[in-house]
Amino acid sequence: MSIILLVSGTMLLLTCGAFVIYEYQTSRQIVKRNLSIIGEIISANSTAALAFENHKDANEMLATVRAEPYIIAAGIYDMKGNLFSQYPLTLPANTFPVRPGIKGYNFTPSSLEGFEPIFQGNKQLGTLYLKSDLGAIYERFRLYGAIVILIMVISFLLAYLLSRILQKGISAPILSLAETAKIVSDRKDYSVRASPQGKDELGALTDAFNQMLTQIQVQNFELSEFNQKLEQKVSERTLELEVANKELESFSYSVSHDLRAPLRSINGFSKILNEKYYNILNEDGRELLKIIIGNAIKMGRLIDDLLAFAQLGRRTLAKMKVDMKAMVLNVWEDLSRAESDRKIEFILKDLPDTYADAGTIKQVWINLISNALKYTKHTEKTVIEISSEEKDGTVIYCVKDNGTGFDMQYYHKLFGVFQRLHSQEEFEGTGVGLAIVQRIIEKHGGKVWATAKLNEGASFYFSLGS
Amino acid sequence: MQVLKTKFHTGLLLFLLLCSWSMPAQTPPNREYQVKAAFLFNFAQFVEWPPAALPELSTPLVIGILGEDPFGSYLEAIISGEKINGHPLKVEHYRSLEEVKTCQILFLNITEPKKLGQVIASLKGRTILTVGDAPDFIQEGGMIRFFIGNNKIQFQINQEEAKSQRLIISSKLLRLAKTEGPGKK
Repeated sequence: MSIILLVSGTMLLLTCGAFVIYEYQTSRQIVKRNLSIIGEIISANSTAALAFENHKDANEMLATVRAEPYIIAAGIYDMKGNLFSQYPLTLPANTFPVRPGIKGYNFTPSSLEGFEPIFQGNKQLGTLYLKSDLGAIYERFRLYGAIVILIMVISFLLAYLLSRILQKGISAPILSLAETAKIVSDRKDYSVRASPQGKDELGALTDAFNQMLTQIQVQNFELSEFNQKLEQKVSERTLELEVANKELESFSYSVSHDLRAPLRSINGFSKILNEKYYNILNEDGRELLKIIIGNAIKMGRLIDDLLAFAQLGRRTLAKMKVDMKAMVLNVWEDLSRAESDRKIEFILKDLPDTYADAGTIKQVWINLISNALKYTKHTEKTVIEISSEEKDGTVIYCVKDNGTGFDMQYYHKLFGVFQRLHSQEEFEGTGVGLAIVQRIIEKHGGKVWATAKLNEGASFYFSLGS
Repeated sequence: MQVLKTKFHTGLLLFLLLCSWSMPAQTPPNREYQVKAAFLFNFAQFVEWPPAALPELSTPLVIGILGEDPFGSYLEAIISGEKINGHPLKVEHYRSLEEVKTCQILFLNITEPKKLGQVIASLKGRTILTVGDAPDFIQEGGMIRFFIGNNKIQFQINQEEAKSQRLIISSKLLRLAKTEGPGKK
């Protein structure tokens, strides 16, 4: 409200100010015109006195300016420029201008003065001098000023009263409505209602508002009920899922375990057979035995991998600071020992440390690096590069090889369980390695992906969540 | 022989005296008549003659002097180049009444009252503003009389006389003068 009062007050002041300035200007013009007229009249009547050098008559003529109380001096100069007559007679002659000036009146800071030539016919006989103080203007001004102030005071009072009335009738109810809305939003309490305001437009607004709140309340209630039901359903399902999961896990665990036992026998006895009866067996027999042992070993690996995969579901991550570079070196030492007969260029760039579960991350490196080694088996000069880069605040680790690569067409199969993109004859493997890597990475909240070109190598990337 | 010489000297002296008596004294105009000359010119600005007196714009307004000219060259100097209501101005000198032709203002340099009265009477009907400085100028029928009052040149105006001659004198001029009614005759 104070702003409105201030604004309207300022507008009023400006308007009045404009009027005052206009009045001041016109006052000056009016006073000037007045003096000019008086000057013309007196000069017209003073011609004879001047022509006949009649000082007495000239003085009498000038004295008539008494009628205009603001005129403080008048004088007549002859054609030689000397002061011929003056009014008032008591004024010292040096207060009059020394020489008569050109026709016209001018304002000085404290007076208005000027000259009017005295003509009889076409002949100039002398010059009239008039000087008036600015009392006329200031008096008008004072009066005007007083009126302006009075108007302003009354207007202000009226404006104030009016705004108070309006405030009570309009602003206050609206503000209280806004207040209510705010309370509802802040406290999320939909039982709050705005106090009714009567039958007019504001009342209609308030009623509508309250209706809306009721609606919100009802809907809110329904929503929370629904939410509750949903929560219930979800927890029921989760329970069911957990149970199923657990069953599945114990199933795969016991399956692998149960599968292992006979396998161990096969493995064990095949080995014994190989050792004890190698000499008895012929070429064909030795070959057959080799095949049996080979397959047994493979099956063992498969079961191991399966177990590892199944176990992954159970384990919780134990996150700690991990020196990635050291870990990779360690893994490389182990894995490259078996490949000592090969020409391998191994490039290990600086890898930033990370915060993760050391055991499973090691498995990731093992799987990725052993893959790199496996699929570069047929490459003449193997190059394996392990590096990292930072992108958008995330660290991405990379294992790159120049091996056989894969067709991107089958990318969707890459990380699938038991999915292989090459035959057993080309490259042996169980098809679980990358699936394990993906599971581990995803458990860390990260991402794993790859790019490759057939016969040109593959690059595997992974990032870990924060 | 001695007696003849003295007689000659006296005769010469007498002759010279006579000359100075009869010939007008060519003294330069004094201040008084300079002012009066200016006034004569100014009268023309405050008096209205009937239209017949100045029929055309080119008709000159004549200021005449009857009798001795006390103004010297001053009156001519004052009016030179000036116009009144568009009429050019002219100064004429008259030695006798007969010489007076058309003029609008006539300064009568006559002091003898009887003669003055005769002259003025004969001027009636000719719409001439008569000005003079003889003491009983007004009583003899003149219109404006100069006199010295308070060490200043002042004038009396007989407005009735002027009116009777169809001359209109401006109130501005009348205001400055001491008007008088008909003469004391």
